[in-house]
Amino acid sequence: MPDTSRHESAAASRPLARPLSPRLSVYRWHVGMIASLAHRASGMVLVLFVPFYLWVLHGMTASPDEFDRMQRMLHQPLERFTLWVAGVAIIYHFCSGIRFLCLDAGWGESPRMMRLTARIVLAAAALAAVVLGVLLW
Amino acid sequence: MRRREAGAAHNGLDEWYWQRLSAVVLLVLLPLPFALLVGVYCGRLDQLGLLDLLDSFTSRLLHTALILAVIAHAYLGLKMIIEDYVHTAGLRVPLIGSMLVLTGISGLWWLAIIWAWGG
Repeated sequence: MPDTSRHESAAASRPLARPLSPRLSVYRWHVGMIASLAHRASGMVLVLFVPFYLWVLHGMTASPDEFDRMQRMLHQPLERFTLWVAGVAIIYHFCSGIRFLCLDAGWGESPRMMRLTARIVLAAAALAAVVLGVLLW
Repeated sequence: MRRREAGAAHNGLDEWYWQRLSAVVLLVLLPLPFALLVGVYCGRLDQLGLLDLLDSFTSRLLHTALILAVIAHAYLGLKMIIEDYVHTAGLRVPLIGSMLVLTGISGLWWLAIIWAWGG
């Protein structure tokens, strides 16, 4: 059947329209997905935190005046907020990272456990956000 | 013919391995800088105390390990995010390349700062 073979060869030459991950607008939002996205978001915050930390430390290890200036700067609202965001990101990324390492080791892979551990990690970050907020303000 | 995408194929396991290894290093080392900053913020650490902690070979070594782990972990993590969200190869490959150059340069600059402390 010549027609069928022409259709088949045309289909084979067309690029495959595979769904590319992650299709945020297609997938139904659930707690595991939120935990995974938050892991990526907190990771990006931490990528920015490390240069900030090194810059602050560079100033603090210079002259005593520079140390005082840096210490005063850390108490400004924006820097205080930066410290709070970085703290929450560290705690979240830390807990979520342990969760991923456990999943890699084959622990807690059932859907029920994955949902439960995602909730625990998110709850720990929310608690850390409150505690850190109280400590820093 | 088999089509090969950048970042897929044979180097997946290597990247997975390095990301997990750097994650374990960061798990131990990353809370320490934050604790140090909070210590200074709360006034529990003055400059002399800070220099006592930082100006040593062990501290420099730990900071070097921290920076190398951050560079590896951040590069692999950001690469994965770019591969997931940037679907055009013509944009994805230059983005990953520039990120590699940027992380490499920042890493060298940070290492220079750390090894110059007190020097």
